Amino acid sequence: MVENTGKTLRADAYKPVNAPEALKVAEDAAGLPVAVRLKQRQAIASIEDKWRIDDEWWRAAPVSRLYYNVLLASWQRMVLYKDLVSGSWYEQEY
Amino acid sequence: MKILCVLLPHFAWRCELRRHPALAGRPSIVTSTEGSQKLVTDFSPDLTGLLPDMPLQQALALHGEAGLLLADTPYYAAVFNEVLDALEQLSPLVEGADPGCIYLGADGLQLIYPDDNALAAAVRGVVKDFAPLMGIAANKFLASLAARYSPPDGCQVLSGNVDIFLTDLSCDILPVSLKSRGKLRDFGLNTLGQVAALPPGPFQSQFGPEGKRIWELSRGKDATPLYPRFMEETIEASAALPSVTVSLDAILVAVESLLGNIFHGHALKGRGIRSLTLWTRSWNAEHWEKNANFKEPAMEVKSAVTRLKRILEEYPQPGPVEQAGIKITGLGYPRGRQKSLFSDIRAQEHLAEDIKQLELKLGNPQVYKVKEVEPWSRIPERRYALTPTNR
Repeated sequence: MVENTGKTLRADAYKPVNAPEALKVAEDAAGLPVAVRLKQRQAIASIEDKWRIDDEWWRAAPVSRLYYNVLLASWQRMVLYKDLVSGSWYEQEY
Repeated sequence: MKILCVLLPHFAWRCELRRHPALAGRPSIVTSTEGSQKLVTDFSPDLTGLLPDMPLQQALALHGEAGLLLADTPYYAAVFNEVLDALEQLSPLVEGADPGCIYLGADGLQLIYPDDNALAAAVRGVVKDFAPLMGIAANKFLASLAARYSPPDGCQVLSGNVDIFLTDLSCDILPVSLKSRGKLRDFGLNTLGQVAALPPGPFQSQFGPEGKRIWELSRGKDATPLYPRFMEETIEASAALPSVTVSLDAILVAVESLLGNIFHGHALKGRGIRSLTLWTRSWNAEHWEKNANFKEPAMEVKSAVTRLKRILEEYPQPGPVEQAGIKITGLGYPRGRQKSLFSDIRAQEHLAEDIKQLELKLGNPQVYKVKEVEPWSRIPERRYALTPTNR
């Protein structure tokens, strides 16, 4: 039996699932991704799909993202997006 | 063994007097409700011919001028506990036998109180508001008789040969069953002296197992030990309802909130509730209370509330409720559980308990479950969230 440590349990300890993870991406002149930095730099062999979402534009922090479904040179598939508000790149399953 | 008995006659009424000094000199009756009948709980000392537990109608027929007070049992219990607490400063062995009847172990106190009068004076100082009667004797029965027949605010000491004291006392004072008392009357045995004069063998054959006790008591022998007060930790919480209500749901919400506060506070220290008293107070000051014992300590609000809900449903309230409270008297750790053959049935329960233990140890939610939040959202991280399993 464990004694109560007296620590307070946080009431609203919610954690989002599938939160985006920051990623280093090299872009070409047109702004398209050409390589990603995972453990090592990997070139993007092809862009399989591309879509954009714009949401919550009425809020102080609107969501504007350009998603890419890419195939790496190592034949690994991944979904990444560019945050069009901050300009940063993220990896996220869609 | 030397025992001091303190009797506080008309204890309930004197508690009321303590709270409402204006009652002094006014005849009044403390009443309580038993089912559909109103009974006399206590009364002011100036009212003659009344007995505790007699129907109120009979009492009013004798004393129509008397004012009526509704019994506030929790208040009397609280006052009685205060008295016991104070007496424990004088002797470590204090037994609260009944409200208004207290026994103190008086052995070994001679270094503090050189004689019985000094001890009696110290006790009187504690209970002076309750017009105490005190008696000192070698056992509980004799001490209670000594107290009963002591002068007001005085102390009677019984020592040595007590036969003379006992011989003319009525058999009605014996703490035995009504059946045995009736039988004593049928045999024409009206005084303790008459009983004591009989040989024990034939007497026991007539009165059965209780006969031995009656015969011994009539000779001033009582082997009943002193049961000092068991110090138990209690947690109390009460809340006034936002408005007077008869709704079971509203009462239950208040109870759930009280339990929530208790479980989320630190008073339980990782223990569960083994027994509690649920009480309510109606707008007309009527008191309702029920005890609940848990076979397995209730470790969470839900399991306790389920039980209390059933009690509230089974035992209706005497009137619209304005206050509800909980008094937790039994706390305990959950017992080790034997594995069930049908492990699937209890697996969920065990898992929940293990998670709770983990959280208590580490302080934060440790195990989460995936919950749909906005599964339709275009923003992936808004679709699902991890929530603590116990929420």
